[in-house]
Amino acid sequence: MTRLCLVRSYVETRLPGALSPHLRSEPEMLQTGIAALDRLTGGIPRRGLTQICAPPQISSGRTTLLLSLMAQVTRAEEFCALVDASDCFDPASAGAAGVDMSRLLWVRCQRMRGIKPLEQAFRAADIVVQNGGFGLIAVDLGNIDERWVRKTPLSTWFRFARVIEKMPAALVFLLSYPAALPQHAQNRRALPSQIAQKRRNPGALELGAPALPQHAQNRRALGAPAQSCAALTLQLAGSRGRWQENANLFSGVECEFAIGRARTRKPVQSAHGCFTANPVWA
Amino acid sequence: MLFGCISVPDFAVQAALEGSIASFLTEPAAVLEGPDSMLKVIACNEPARAAGVSIGMTRLQAESCGAVRLEQRAIEQEESAQEALLACAYKFSPRMESTAPGTVIADLSGSSRLLGSAEEIGAALLREAEAAGYVANVAIAANPDAALHAARGLKGLTVIVAGEEAQALASLPVAVLEPPEEISEILFHWGISDLRALAALPEIALTERLGQEGLRLQRLAKGATQRELLPAEPPLTFRESMELEEPVELLEPLAFVLNRLLEEAMRRLRERSLATDHLELKLTLELHPEQQLRADGPASTVTSQFQKTLKLPVPSQDAKVLLKLLQIELSASPPPAPVKNVAIEVLPARLRPVQAGLFQPLAPEPAKLEITLARLRAAVGAEDDQGRGRVGFAQPVDSHRPDSFTVLPSGPAANAKAALPETSQLALRRFRPPLPARVEMRAGRPAAISFEHTRNPIVRTAGPWRTSGAWWDSSREWQRDEWDLELNFELNFAGEAGLYRVFQDLRTGEWFVEGMYD
Repeated sequence: MTRLCLVRSYVETRLPGALSPHLRSEPEMLQTGIAALDRLTGGIPRRGLTQICAPPQISSGRTTLLLSLMAQVTRAEEFCALVDASDCFDPASAGAAGVDMSRLLWVRCQRMRGIKPLEQAFRAADIVVQNGGFGLIAVDLGNIDERWVRKTPLSTWFRFARVIEKMPAALVFLLSYPAALPQHAQNRRALPSQIAQKRRNPGALELGAPALPQHAQNRRALGAPAQSCAALTLQLAGSRGRWQENANLFSGVECEFAIGRARTRKPVQSAHGCFTANPVWA
Repeated sequence: MLFGCISVPDFAVQAALEGSIASFLTEPAAVLEGPDSMLKVIACNEPARAAGVSIGMTRLQAESCGAVRLEQRAIEQEESAQEALLACAYKFSPRMESTAPGTVIADLSGSSRLLGSAEEIGAALLREAEAAGYVANVAIAANPDAALHAARGLKGLTVIVAGEEAQALASLPVAVLEPPEEISEILFHWGISDLRALAALPEIALTERLGQEGLRLQRLAKGATQRELLPAEPPLTFRESMELEEPVELLEPLAFVLNRLLEEAMRRLRERSLATDHLELKLTLELHPEQQLRADGPASTVTSQFQKTLKLPVPSQDAKVLLKLLQIELSASPPPAPVKNVAIEVLPARLRPVQAGLFQPLAPEPAKLEITLARLRAAVGAEDDQGRGRVGFAQPVDSHRPDSFTVLPSGPAANAKAALPETSQLALRRFRPPLPARVEMRAGRPAAISFEHTRNPIVRTAGPWRTSGAWWDSSREWQRDEWDLELNFELNFAGEAGLYRVFQDLRTGEWFVEGMYD
């Protein structure tokens, strides 16, 4: 015990605060403008990494959610940056969503095959984060093939999370799967069909529970959460289109979402909800 | 009347040493001019004179005097130095004269209440010249010529009281007046070596022998002339250049040269409370004979020009910001050959005053943002194949053509707060360029679509919505039928919707997927 005290005092004299626990204060939240989501999470946390995940082929409402968030941020006269890995941002949609385009820095990565756009996006995100002064930094990797995103080491996500902790900005990644989680936690991720089933029949299914490996189950039993660098993980399940058959018109979508994990409010692990989005003409 | 003169001794040497006072005072240095085979010393400093160097020596003779630093005359650097001296004088008076290379006279009449006594003004002029990097002599007198000759002949600061000019100038040699060679010889044979002796000569006899020029020289020696200054306007072109002794091949040493030029240009801008939003960099390259042949240039041409232009959204005075931007630009597209001459020109602009507020929302610093934009352009490219920027602020174009926008390097004027829509607006994720597709039609409506190597049945459709435009210009004309489709992903995402916008180009009949509602 005496030796432990000696070691402790030795380390603390050399590296003050090295053995002190890192206290996280309650983060400031950015409203998304989607009431159902804001009610559940309080919004998107500043000084934190948020991942919004949805499969790339289905219409899930992730871009609608992002534009709505940008509209709220620019309305508060703050600046946003969007790193667009697959050059899929539509300025007309953003304008219709209420985004002030004079406060949105848009970085269009080149359309290339393979891992190049992902590398470009990470490099651009690094540069934007270093600049500072933005209230929201969004990195859209939603159309990047999952196999390339999987090659990103977990340390990259941790690095982004640590850097953004020191800045009054929210860092949001649009992904096809929750990449900023360790592998065993990713295995637990809910499939879109599971989220939809959960919504229809609450309590019927614990999200991804069977996929938990033994060591993660042990951690869970001890009450330790899976290490995640994301302050909030939103999984968008999919949507149902609304059609006016008589008028031969597509009139909107109902999007479903689940909160995969949040450090900001507990317990919200299995919370889910839905929101409606209408096209400009509806 | 009160005039102040700044005179830089051995001006050519000081200009060639690029404003290094320590080198000028301690290191023997000489400036050479002439054709390569006949280089001769045209100026040298005191340590070089002590080492035996004198004006008119050949390069070989100068080299035999020991470790003497020999520099080729650089006219552009001398011009820059002269502009720096004018800028020093401009701080004290708007009326000034660029009398000769290395000599500037300022009209200080009426400035004593503002700037202090003649001694104080003189000391301040000396400090300014030193801050600009030059060892100078300063003289204050009641007429410009007396001030000029005192500054040329007497070291440090000299203040001549009105009416005592003759006594103050008496000890100076006749050469200070720069007489014509013929008169100089005559005076030498008469035994007239200083201004006291010249001033003492009888006026009529002197005029009879040397004419009006002799009389003028005598009046100058007495310090009794009066003349108007030929005012020099302070230059509003901010141009700095440097001729390099050895061509520079790497960007890093070039950055040192750029840094020096930028700092000098920014210093001059700051003196006038100006900034710049436009910078032009001109590099003169040394091409090898093979490159010349490739460039189809005439055989005698050994240089080529390389230019870069920086345009800033916000005027800046920060040399570091401009240097970083130039470094990024040059590393993205480096000069194709070694650089032998560097010139920068900045266009002056008014500083934009910004009032910071305690409750002002977060915003990127304009200068820092400019560097960030340049770094982003270097990372993702400057423009796409349609000439639209890859980094910047999107601005809609007044056109009905789908996906028409421009990307501006700086944010357009902030819009008035627009009302947010009551419900969430569905966004479109675009495919740029649109994905080619094959559509199977049934009863005049799409029934299945194949794109990206997959075929998907279509559950619901809405459309077609016909749009067209630019019919007056066949190269830009567009005409299409748009459809909104709901696809059925049978294998992976059973029960989930894939809502897509597709269109058929009516001119070619081809189908494309424009984007996905998301």
